[in-house]
Amino acid sequence: MTESPEASRSPATSRPYRTSADQYSAGPAPANLADILERVLDKGIIIAGDIKVNLLDIELLTIKIRLLIVSVDKAAEMGIDWWRNDPMLSSQAQDLSEENRELRERLAELESGERTDEQA
Amino acid sequence: MTASLTGLYFFAVGRGLDASVLSGAEGIDGAPLQIVECQDLQAVVCAVDLDEFGGASLARNLEDLNWLERVARAHNDVVFAVATTGTVAPMRLVTICAGESSVRDRIEALYDDLSAALDRVEGRREWSVKVHASGAPAEQPQDRVDSNVEVGSGAAYLQRKRAAADRRRAAGERSLHVADEIHGALAAVSVAARQLPPQDPRLTGRPEPMILNGAYLISIDEGPAFRALVERVGESHPDASIEVEGPWPPYSFATLDAP
Repeated sequence: MTESPEASRSPATSRPYRTSADQYSAGPAPANLADILERVLDKGIIIAGDIKVNLLDIELLTIKIRLLIVSVDKAAEMGIDWWRNDPMLSSQAQDLSEENRELRERLAELESGERTDEQA
Repeated sequence: MTASLTGLYFFAVGRGLDASVLSGAEGIDGAPLQIVECQDLQAVVCAVDLDEFGGASLARNLEDLNWLERVARAHNDVVFAVATTGTVAPMRLVTICAGESSVRDRIEALYDDLSAALDRVEGRREWSVKVHASGAPAEQPQDRVDSNVEVGSGAAYLQRKRAAADRRRAAGERSLHVADEIHGALAAVSVAARQLPPQDPRLTGRPEPMILNGAYLISIDEGPAFRALVERVGESHPDASIEVEGPWPPYSFATLDAP
């Protein structure tokens, strides 16, 4: 084997190189945390060690990681779907509440028009 | 003070690793990597303090994004280092065993499956390709409303809402089609391909939705050709923006659930 001396001197500092630094995107240089986490948390060989840790029970992972990185579908499969109804967290819910607001306003507008008719 | 207990952080299992390259390299918190041999496989581990990596503290530490980032990056760095010296199957983050015999027991128990996983990824690397829809769907200046519907009426309002929803749906379908086309073209030249869940816009920091988060298993030699293909595919889809990253160790393919 003819590894370059640089490669063998400090193997634990290797980083993925970004090959997207060309015309396609100007992404941040080192592998971003999200890319790493989606692989180290969700992929690879999953076996139980001697220290029992259920990565799925972790609160912060729920909010910051599970929701954003680890499959949302998987979270839903596990019955974790509170975020679906939390307007702060679900953009879909945000759209819906926005739409609801618009509809309510419109309804109020129409009703106020009708009321004047009825009262007349 | 009593000495704290240590466990072994299990980074990866490998085959054909050059122990001289890895031994002594840093694992976590300055602890050197160690190799645990088991038949023709090698486990890459390092000692960790169970005050930090034991049950309750581990659960607490995982709540701390800074701690999590430090460990995730250290884990990833070791996996990359292992990949440069042989075939690697990364373990999931924070797989902790009590000692060497416990590591060996686990390898023995899963020997056939681990060997099969290593066979699948030997001489291969993972490439990540992310595709974002580019730009918003063409907006009509004013959605058409039937001429027999009074402007400003409730019916007109609902028609506008419906038209906007139709546009969103059509844009979604177009994106899906573009994503399928790109994934198909890349999967065709890959040893194996997987779609990871698209990342949330708050994470990517981009307003456009991610429509494809693909992982492709490619022979090491074919990496440059794959990258060139991604660029060509990107050029033929001006309606999408494509990012390619790699090579990664084969995280998404060195798994026990055989494809």
